[in-house]
Amino acid sequence: MALNLTINTNNLPLGALLAAEHVKDSVPVSVEEGKDNRLHVSDAIQFNDVNSISRYLARLAPALGLYGSNMMEQTEIDHWLEFSARHLCGQPGLAEALGELDLALSLRTFLVGHAVTLADLSVWAALKGHEGWPSQGKSFSHINRWFSFLSSQVPFSAVGNKYANKKA
Amino acid sequence: MALRELSSLEKYLGLKKPNKYSTQGDKKVPVLQNNTGPPLVGLVTVACHLVKEAKRPELLGDSAESRAVVQQWLEYRVTKLNNCTKDDIKTILKDLNMYLQDKVYLAENQFTLADILMYYGIQPLIVDLAIQEKEQYVNVTRWFDHIQHYPGIRRHLSPVVVLRNRIYTSRHH
Repeated sequence: MALNLTINTNNLPLGALLAAEHVKDSVPVSVEEGKDNRLHVSDAIQFNDVNSISRYLARLAPALGLYGSNMMEQTEIDHWLEFSARHLCGQPGLAEALGELDLALSLRTFLVGHAVTLADLSVWAALKGHEGWPSQGKSFSHINRWFSFLSSQVPFSAVGNKYANKKA
Repeated sequence: MALRELSSLEKYLGLKKPNKYSTQGDKKVPVLQNNTGPPLVGLVTVACHLVKEAKRPELLGDSAESRAVVQQWLEYRVTKLNNCTKDDIKTILKDLNMYLQDKVYLAENQFTLADILMYYGIQPLIVDLAIQEKEQYVNVTRWFDHIQHYPGIRRHLSPVVVLRNRIYTSRHH
């Protein structure tokens, strides 16, 4: 099974790249640049939504626990995937969404459970790629702690260095 | 207390053969009789020795700065946290809460021996906190809950219930 991820450098799928980086030891994925964001599974099956790609990759490597360890956690993860797509990706009302996120993170080190999951990848990627994040983020101390902690961890720093700086 | 802590630390580190300890004085300072050298005295001294024996030097910090921070919190543990009075508890929790505001671990983004020994030392104080107080010291509570769920750490201690969402959200910390 050869998985191939095509990425559009003008519209980087950071969340999908992070998921690919996390699972790379159990699920090899080749990455190349192209016209659009697409995970090629077979000629019949292809995904082009960032969250769909991340979900698929996480499910291929269940031992890593990226999709949580029980149904409750899976539901929470789905919540955060939708939250990042609906409230953090370019829409207005960022401050309100950040307020909600900050409150959720006040008693948590990771968004769901006690280890890194797709929820962290997706929300981190949405903020990393958001123009309004660094300037509006100053007053949200819990988000800042969580964001800089993840940024210092290996798969995040690897993806950040390799791709996120290309945009600038 | 200190002896159970050291035996839990040995298990976390994966040391196969448990050491035999004795205690010294009425403060029951732990002593490790070493086969190869003089006896080691004191919780922090013995703990650092175990970490080196297990070949996990990163738990003592991996830069000059983080090594200094780790030693600072280990000393805080034995000087401030051990034998603290009821009045001290509030000051300790307040200071720690401010310090942890922007940090996941005591040494910023890195899990170290300081987190383990501070967790073992502070657990008896956290057990007694009311829900409101756990929210008042929200950063301490988050750190504490993270460490008690860190794989292989909790051992001899009972888990403390921490709510994942805040109830008293209007209260400023």
